[in-house]
Amino acid sequence: MVSGLDFQLFLPETILLVGGIAVLIADLFLRERADRETNLAWVSLAILVAALVASAAQYGVSESLFRSSADPVAPGAFVVDGFTTFFRIIAILTTIIVFLASVEYVRGRTAFRGEFFALMIFSTLAMTLMAGSTDLVMVIISLEFLSITSYILTGYLRGNVKSNEGAVKYFLYGSITTAITFYGASLLFGVAGSTNLYDIAARFADPTAIIGTPLMSLVLPAIIFLLAGFGFKIALVPFHQWSPDAYEGAPTPVTAFLSVGPKAAGFAMLLRVFAVALPEFTHEWAALMIGVAMVTMTLGNIVALSQTNVKRLLAYSSIAQAGYMLIGVAGVSVANIAGIAPGEGGAGLAIDGTAGVLLYILAYLFTNLGLFIGVIAVDYLAGSDTLPGYAGLLRRAPFLTVAMTIFFLSLVGIPPTAGFIGKFWVFGAAIQNQLFALAAVGAINGVISVVYYFRILKQMWYEAPADPTPLRLPGTMNAALWICLSLTLLIGLFPAPFIEFANQSIHMLGVFVRS
Amino acid sequence: MLAEWSFVGVFLVIALAFPPLGLVTAWLLRPKRPGPIKKSTYECGLETVGDTWVQFKVQYYIYALIFVIFDIEIAFLLPWAVAHMGLSAAQGILPLIEVVIFVGILVAGLMYAWRKGALEWI
Amino acid sequence: MNSVPLNAYLVVAAALFCFGLYGSLTRRNAVGILMGVELMLNAVNINLVAFWRYLTPEHLGGQVFAVFIIALAAAEAAIGLALFIAIYRTRDTVNVEDINLMKW
Repeated sequence: MVSGLDFQLFLPETILLVGGIAVLIADLFLRERADRETNLAWVSLAILVAALVASAAQYGVSESLFRSSADPVAPGAFVVDGFTTFFRIIAILTTIIVFLASVEYVRGRTAFRGEFFALMIFSTLAMTLMAGSTDLVMVIISLEFLSITSYILTGYLRGNVKSNEGAVKYFLYGSITTAITFYGASLLFGVAGSTNLYDIAARFADPTAIIGTPLMSLVLPAIIFLLAGFGFKIALVPFHQWSPDAYEGAPTPVTAFLSVGPKAAGFAMLLRVFAVALPEFTHEWAALMIGVAMVTMTLGNIVALSQTNVKRLLAYSSIAQAGYMLIGVAGVSVANIAGIAPGEGGAGLAIDGTAGVLLYILAYLFTNLGLFIGVIAVDYLAGSDTLPGYAGLLRRAPFLTVAMTIFFLSLVGIPPTAGFIGKFWVFGAAIQNQLFALAAVGAINGVISVVYYFRILKQMWYEAPADPTPLRLPGTMNAALWICLSLTLLIGLFPAPFIEFANQSIHMLGVFVRS
Repeated sequence: MLAEWSFVGVFLVIALAFPPLGLVTAWLLRPKRPGPIKKSTYECGLETVGDTWVQFKVQYYIYALIFVIFDIEIAFLLPWAVAHMGLSAAQGILPLIEVVIFVGILVAGLMYAWRKGALEWI
Repeated sequence: MNSVPLNAYLVVAAALFCFGLYGSLTRRNAVGILMGVELMLNAVNINLVAFWRYLTPEHLGGQVFAVFIIALAAAEAAIGLALFIAIYRTRDTVNVEDINLMKW
């Protein structure tokens, strides 16, 4: 049963859906017009901004949508709460920045521009859906929706061998892992007898109904199988093999998008499903996260050491970054998500893993996108994505070099930048939860990452350029760069409002915690 | 329990016995007069020409894709129709609006394929 | 006619899932891998419908889930084949061992 309020709260998704289809169709009928791609780009941007405004307007709302007509009190398939609003904003912001950076790039490289904008809008829609799904069916569909749009975007340069190869590898890994995830979802449905995450939680919270039945043995496999799908989106280590190839092969703006958008959406879904449906199994999944986080950080950083392609290097770097975020997931306190203040010894700073993850994602969004704008610019203007292509960038594009240096510092976590705040919060959560080994592994990895970031910095600052002609960034690219740079520094210098935002956003509607 | 499953076992035995039984009976009864025509792969019909591993025109595949649009459409329309067999007054025309949105999205997909020339045989 | 226990269906589904996984991990032809994935998705459907029939026949959730999985499988196959055609046009192969421009 759908009510008027449902439509009102579903407005951002509606705007994205209608807008995406409109862009796709408009492109077909404006085929002959020479100025269409510029116009379509601005229209698409306007659609995204409208969706962003509609999402931000729902700050503070906490409501469940699409309830069953048979049982109007039961929660529905989609929920709008602080958590959803946060990830809606993250998803749409990511696309807007990538958009600004890619308008010029896309114009030069491919014949199908309207589709590119429509696909970007559709994948934004998929990410917003992922953030608010509270039903296994909805979870699975939005996950697959994002996967499919990402496959197409990766293989967007149809005549380019690398783009094809990246897309096929992405697809093959993706289809196998999503099949495993579906299997996990079917097992979870079988154990709990419902697809609704809240019903599943209620079933597990009732010890007489389910504990001790033989079906209980299926819960742990279900958790692991579900993690396969979420881990694939985030590029956690056993499911990461696609990411370097897809990142290297994809058009550079798509790489920028893939490195932030699906990762954030994957974390949203991971936290939502595990915190809402499986709070009774926090010990089990938190333990899994610790192991995966350690392996992910270490492998990402160590393999990144030997890369010569910058996109590939940043792919491994972003795998490692996902590992840092996972530290926060391991330090999650489900009581905080439910809006219950942590009881014991709460004097002073109570750091929650979820707030850490959200803050880290916010910082990572601007930092990593900023860095990728630099990569897009060098790829677009100098036609290179290998390390030597960055030689002497200081003399060719001084502002870009300084900005990229700041982004690298932020990725490492040096104080006056956003990355420091994110790292501080995530590591703080780990230490408060007594996960000292995890924090130590994270710290060692931070040191390793300096080595390969410095290799790029060395090229940019100290090497002589092969071709000293200055690079002039197009206006839209510059605008995107400025947005990322100012927010990276703003979060670093004045973190209070952003921390408040993250803390407000961790509350999910109706998480059940047995005290 | 076992008795309930016994019919599966009986079925299996009969199924295994049936093909050899027919072949052996025919082998015992038939006259044996082989000739070059009788030994060809297809006694009636045409000889196959060339390799069986031929490439199909990629166009077939595009048609199959467009078929999938309608295939999925019917897979969802049928449950929708059954679920709303008796349209209640409380729901009003809401189910209709829902399905129009659904079909509308699919029509947009078809329109895309049409404008892109996927429906023309090249 | 409920003499076949739920376990039997789950075992069939698990076996089918394993065949599919084995097939998709050992095949060298990309289309073969896709066929393995389809087997895995069908195992999911058997699971869903069996669970629905035995545990919650009064709610249609399980059946609806299965219909959605079928639709997703179709969409995935369509995208997959399109990507394979694209790579076949540039590389003349869909053998995954030959798709090796990028490594490590």
